[in-house]
Amino acid sequence: MSPLAQVLVDGIFTGASYALMAAGLALILGVVKVVNLSHGAFFTLGAYVAYVLEANGVDHPVAAVVMAAAIAFAFGVFLGKSFINPVRSHPFSVAVGSLGFAILFEQAAQMLWGPHPLSIDLGAPLATLHGVTLRRWGVISFLLSLGLAGGLSLLLSGPWGLPLKLIAEDEEIAGSVGMDVEKIRYLTFGAASAVAAVAGALLAPAMAITPTMGRVPLILSLIVVIASGMEKVWNLFFLAVGLGLLSNVSAYLLAPSWSYVLLLAVICLLLVLRPSGLATAGPGRDY
Amino acid sequence: MKKSEPFRHGKFPGVLAAGAGVLLLLPLAGLDAFLLNVLTLGFLVAVYTGSWDIVGGVAGQVSLGHALFFGTATYACALLTSLAGCPFPLAAVAALLLATAAGAAVGTLSAPLKGPFVALLTLALGEAAHEFILGQTFFSPQGGYSWGGEGGIPVLLRVQPLSPWTAYYAALAFLVLSTWLMLRIARSEEGLIWTALSGSELSARASGVDVLRYKRRAFMFAAALAGAAGVGFAAFVGRATADDFSLELSFQAATFAAVGGRGTIVGPVLSALVLHSLLQGTGIPPAGRVLLYALALLLTLRFFPGGVAGTLRDRVRSRRMVAPGKEGNR
Amino acid sequence: MIVSAGTGGPMGFPRLLRLLPMVLTGLILCRAFPVFAGNPASRPNLRIGVLAPLSGPFASGGSSFLQAATLAVERANAGGGVLGRRAELVVADSQGRVDIAKSEALRLISREKVFAIVGAYLSEETVGAIEAAVAARKLLIVPVAATAEITDGVSRDYPRYRYVFRVGYSIPQWAAMMSEFLRQRGVKTYAFVGASIRWNRELAGALKKTLAGSGILPVYEAFYSPRNPAFEPVAVAAAAASPDIVVLGDPGKNSVVFVKRFREGGSGIPILSVGGSLGDSRVAPSLPLSAPLYVQAAAWEGASEAATAYVEGFEKRYGYPPVGYSDTLPYDAVTVLLSAIRAAGRLDTDAVLTALEKGTFPGAAGTYRFDASHQAIWGTAPGDLHGTVIQWERDGARIVFPLR
Repeated sequence: MSPLAQVLVDGIFTGASYALMAAGLALILGVVKVVNLSHGAFFTLGAYVAYVLEANGVDHPVAAVVMAAAIAFAFGVFLGKSFINPVRSHPFSVAVGSLGFAILFEQAAQMLWGPHPLSIDLGAPLATLHGVTLRRWGVISFLLSLGLAGGLSLLLSGPWGLPLKLIAEDEEIAGSVGMDVEKIRYLTFGAASAVAAVAGALLAPAMAITPTMGRVPLILSLIVVIASGMEKVWNLFFLAVGLGLLSNVSAYLLAPSWSYVLLLAVICLLLVLRPSGLATAGPGRDY
Repeated sequence: MKKSEPFRHGKFPGVLAAGAGVLLLLPLAGLDAFLLNVLTLGFLVAVYTGSWDIVGGVAGQVSLGHALFFGTATYACALLTSLAGCPFPLAAVAALLLATAAGAAVGTLSAPLKGPFVALLTLALGEAAHEFILGQTFFSPQGGYSWGGEGGIPVLLRVQPLSPWTAYYAALAFLVLSTWLMLRIARSEEGLIWTALSGSELSARASGVDVLRYKRRAFMFAAALAGAAGVGFAAFVGRATADDFSLELSFQAATFAAVGGRGTIVGPVLSALVLHSLLQGTGIPPAGRVLLYALALLLTLRFFPGGVAGTLRDRVRSRRMVAPGKEGNR
Repeated sequence: MIVSAGTGGPMGFPRLLRLLPMVLTGLILCRAFPVFAGNPASRPNLRIGVLAPLSGPFASGGSSFLQAATLAVERANAGGGVLGRRAELVVADSQGRVDIAKSEALRLISREKVFAIVGAYLSEETVGAIEAAVAARKLLIVPVAATAEITDGVSRDYPRYRYVFRVGYSIPQWAAMMSEFLRQRGVKTYAFVGASIRWNRELAGALKKTLAGSGILPVYEAFYSPRNPAFEPVAVAAAAASPDIVVLGDPGKNSVVFVKRFREGGSGIPILSVGGSLGDSRVAPSLPLSAPLYVQAAAWEGASEAATAYVEGFEKRYGYPPVGYSDTLPYDAVTVLLSAIRAAGRLDTDAVLTALEKGTFPGAAGTYRFDASHQAIWGTAPGDLHGTVIQWERDGARIVFPLR
């Protein structure tokens, strides 16, 4: 079968993995109104949880996911309560502080597990359809990010999403209607961090696990979130998949060294030609 | 050193001058070559961070690609001196002009954008420049091997290498001059318009300000200063590498500035100097150094949300606003 | 302890327990050689600086570097020290940047008063360290960085740069050793996949040139972006080009991921890696071995008695075998330096320099001698250091080159 078909399928899967990371980041950006630079660290945390479980003989991915989500949620809530909420008067400082947390985590990971790349057994691919290999992690990311996008979209448009949307819109009004804005903020932060960790735990077998492995996913998801205009969840999903496709196809048809630059160039073009991102964003947020 | 907003009168300029005096006399107290080296680099990093504050703090345009201007200057110096055989002063001027031009370009592109989109655009441009430079190699004139990419390009000074003392005082003079320049411009009419822009672009536009033009100028000025710091760095370190364009360097400017106090100029300059000297100059083991840095970020911002200088400034301001009658004549 | 500054290595609870037998061994050794039981009245320690990235993205290579250097110094001290002194390592973190490397080299020289420096790891760090070292007329032994610029200074401006010696292989030497292996395998075509960094591209070019002479041609060459590698399309394209073997030029973690992707796609083409992360035996059990995976290393257990002794010593000290590149070469760098100091008979830089230029020094990878540009002689001629290529198998590694 044509290698191009394989490249296209892989591109969709790669994009879906961007969307997985980006979804949590978008939630934090929208509801907690914070650029969370520790998102990559939670991703790494999930990967290390998966590694530690596998090294101790627990091979079930569900166990890794549950543990990763629980630990990340706990850390996320802690970070939210102790730092994100108290400093919210200065969103820029929150962003920089979250970067501080990421650095702290990277160093802790290096001290606990060493800086050397660690690896988990990948396992066989899921299936081969007409000569196109469906990579296990690819299918999982795709299904999960699809589910996440769908779930978030439903959540935000349903009754449960109303408090979140209100907080995203105007915190003062939300507070005056009797919502515990502080609690919702740190719970959302914890939940989004848990999502990042789950992504890390599921993708860990496909990668080499190092303390700084979360840096690249962080930057990519940051790019996707901001460029998508942070309005509709599906915009985010489709932009992520589009970028994944672009990156993979350009690597295949042109040269692999250009794939990242091309992605960045497209983002720049998007921004320059459509200053409010892909969808109309609200009044420019103050950073 | 006390950090607070620049006032036209009061004891603040005195405090700054005292600080400068201390730095002036420090080498005479018997610092070894290593500490002189660390402080010299610290002065350059301080100017670089201060230049970020012009566009990211005073003008409110958070830039995550500031290293682009720094790297343009270092690379221009390296390329012109090593490959084109230019004398260093000429290369330095060219580098400054190129950095300013880059600032104009980035400013023009980002001017129609707001908030996070500026951050994204500058990040994307910085990363694209980094990737591009990483892939560019140049054949060395001596032949036999290539320069560029991650290994970088040497900077040829063609004079006797500077003694550590000369470099130290030159960098200190550069720091004092640049800080004075930045403070002046921040308090000038230009700077006030930038401050207005960072508050609300809509109101500024409604007042008839050409928002696009002023945003571009903020970028140009910041880029020129970052470029100047880059020229100093190229001369001092003797090498330009792709790391000079890196995301880590861009983030470092924003991070140090946040700790110091975004928008105060003095805060970022001092915090950069202090953090750099502390982290690089005390010989702490690497694990301790990284932990110290991370904790410094977290703890400082937790208790000084606006950065040290920013929070102090806000406190002073709010104290002044309370019970004006009690304060008496001011 | 020999290391005088913190190393920031892993210190989890299980590893603390593992340190106990080592501490006891160390105490026993001290008892066996009472002269070196830290007697303050004896001669001052011989201080050797180690400059490596111990934080940031390259901390993996840097920490292997430090582990191996520590082992070398402990060995030397266990063997009676150097010229009646205890050897001591002074550690500096170069953080992967040229300005920091230069600054830390300066700290090692002016503050810590080291006799010589072993380092650095990356090319950009090394050139920074070179400038600082030659200005202060201190020896700099380069274990790993492969770029030509390092030894070019020696031939171009000998009076100034003569203090620089490289123990690791240069790029043309690396290509020559790999080419020999490929010729032995009987390949006719190959693919090269590396990172889009200068030295990887140079290695690809050198390999192409060396193999062209034997009529072996590349059918695919790809350099992925180190920041955001597009593994899948490169794996797909490399497999589609149907080479006889795929050569991976990136010693970092990206190669591990690439191997997984490549095999996941079902390709049975053999892979040759330049070493590094793929030589890590802790990673090997999770690597797909549906087709041959060859890894080049400076030395491996079983290649020679010295290599076996080194690997066993490393494993006993740290609990896992070395990867064969970022540890073996620094080990030999320190060993060669200390041997040269012994050969010179006195702690004088110029005397040691002459000893290095003229002598031969045994290390884990073989016998080291330096050519006119102070480059260790690696290659395929008899008497050269030749490295090793192993093949990973389910139960461990098997040496496939050079065949005995």
